[in-house]
Amino acid sequence: MIGFEEVEHTADVALRVRGRDLSDLLVNAALGLTTLLADQTDSPGQATQERQVEVEAFDPESLLVSWLSELIFWAEKDGFVCNKVEVYDVSPTRLKAVCVGGFVSELRHHIKAVTYHNLKIIQTDQGLETIVVFDV
Amino acid sequence: MVDSQAIKRVDKYVYEIDSSFREDMRVPARLYTDAELLEHALGDASVDQLVNTATLPGVVKYVLAMPDIHQGYGFPIGGVVATQLPDGIISPGGVGYDINCGVRLLGTHLSEEEVKPYLDDLATAIYKNCPSGVGKGGEIKLKTGELDRVLEEGSRWAKARGFATDEDLERTEAGGCLEGADAATVSAKAKERGHDQVGTLGAGNHFIELDVVRDIYDEEAAQRYGLFVGQIAVQIHCGSRGLGHQVCTDYVQRFQQTVQRYGIRLPDRELVCAPLNSADGQAYLAAMKAAANYAFANRQVLAHHVRHAFVEALSGKVRNPHVFQIYDVGHNMAKIEQHEVDGKRITVCVHRKGATRAFGPHHPDVPSAYRDVGQPVLVPGSMGTASWVLRGTEEAMRQTFGSTCHGAGRAMSRTQAKKKVWGGELREQLEGQGIRVRAGSMSGLAEEAPSAYKDVDRVVEVMHGSGIATKVARLVPIAIIKG
Repeated sequence: MIGFEEVEHTADVALRVRGRDLSDLLVNAALGLTTLLADQTDSPGQATQERQVEVEAFDPESLLVSWLSELIFWAEKDGFVCNKVEVYDVSPTRLKAVCVGGFVSELRHHIKAVTYHNLKIIQTDQGLETIVVFDV
Repeated sequence: MVDSQAIKRVDKYVYEIDSSFREDMRVPARLYTDAELLEHALGDASVDQLVNTATLPGVVKYVLAMPDIHQGYGFPIGGVVATQLPDGIISPGGVGYDINCGVRLLGTHLSEEEVKPYLDDLATAIYKNCPSGVGKGGEIKLKTGELDRVLEEGSRWAKARGFATDEDLERTEAGGCLEGADAATVSAKAKERGHDQVGTLGAGNHFIELDVVRDIYDEEAAQRYGLFVGQIAVQIHCGSRGLGHQVCTDYVQRFQQTVQRYGIRLPDRELVCAPLNSADGQAYLAAMKAAANYAFANRQVLAHHVRHAFVEALSGKVRNPHVFQIYDVGHNMAKIEQHEVDGKRITVCVHRKGATRAFGPHHPDVPSAYRDVGQPVLVPGSMGTASWVLRGTEEAMRQTFGSTCHGAGRAMSRTQAKKKVWGGELREQLEGQGIRVRAGSMSGLAEEAPSAYKDVDRVVEVMHGSGIATKVARLVPIAIIKG
């Protein structure tokens, strides 16, 4: 099972993300976002840094939005993109993790924001699945 | 899904979906369009998104779609939704992430012939003077506390710093400053994203374009706006950059719980909102105004850079390299305005998401120099195609809360566009048409390929034909500068 794939959306960019559980879904969403932010030919792992992140929300969807918004903020601020995520603690309303990644000089897409557009995390036979639409 | 069965034609260019179409609709939906553009709109979720906005508390008269409507997230792009004060809602998604994304049109005293020999130098000078690219910062370093001034004063801050003239401010929507902006309602994160981006273009569909006024359709208005055939003009299309994106992100997140508190049921979570007379609603309004002011200041500083580029490239070579402001107007904004509904004058919050304000003659918010002809409306086309200057009308005040279209409107996804068009090829094609291209990214160029958009001339024809905003001038590009 692929953790994420890009799907078509007229004005924007969307990702279908799957995960065995919420932790896996959040990690795959982050890695999917990285492919949108950084060119695959770039090697964002070169200057490695670890960043700790703690986000709180009030349901799994808002947790996903808060988490990805944090990553978009970092990318715009100093070009940091993560290519590995270690989850320490996760609940439907809280995520504590460490992101390992590096810096890119040029971002592939200018992602303005992650949206709530039709956002719903659904249970499937394999685990969880959702489609996240980004405003670019 | 809305299909053509549910849509009734009520005028040559007006189609309606009755409020009985869906149980949760509070008002009908109206689309300004023609048969072909309507078919396009029905090809994605944009009309369903329009219907969703008709469910919002406090919505009045109709929810409206302009002919350039296309699918957004929550609200469609090209939508106009007015809600009545005091307890109607304000929705951050109804404004969008790029708060006060808009267009500034600058005029010159130069003809195409005068500039032609120096066009390459001029395009390069603009590209060098106006920082562009994803998340890129600019030359303007703000002192501590100065960002708060930008947020609360907009173009007035720019004037105090020597980047604007009185005439620039007079010829900007709301004088380049929305009253009631409050920097304290803007998060530290938003400020961090915005602190070094004043006077930068960014990436995506934002651009600076050198144009030639090709045709004039309305002599009186053209003369008043300072337009003539063969004239060189400049368009600046951009918004509030990362700061505005973060403001929207913050409030869409915050309002997820607000709607639960107020018992507001919504068909899409991106439509979250708050009553205008609530503390949450007022906080977003003040933050949105602050981001809008940032955008006005941003376009003002870019205009200053463009002026500098004209002097740098053309001084001593042409008679007069002076660049003057024609107008600056936003197309992603919520404004508190007075409009007549069912014979009564009421105060409403007009959400324009991918729609341009188009006030008619004699409105006090139209600059005094243009008041008897109406507000200039700036409609940029897709890359390499024509752009339009229209003027607002009484009909717009009557029918569309003083609003019209904002551009060509996307017809193809960015991914699709990139599969079909290769950036380098597109560049060659544009250069083949005599259009200079200065672009930071070739794939960014491909995403904005003209074939990815609807035909702007057709979109404008609908607005003109329905009398909402009438044609003044048609501009064609000769140089494109983008991130």
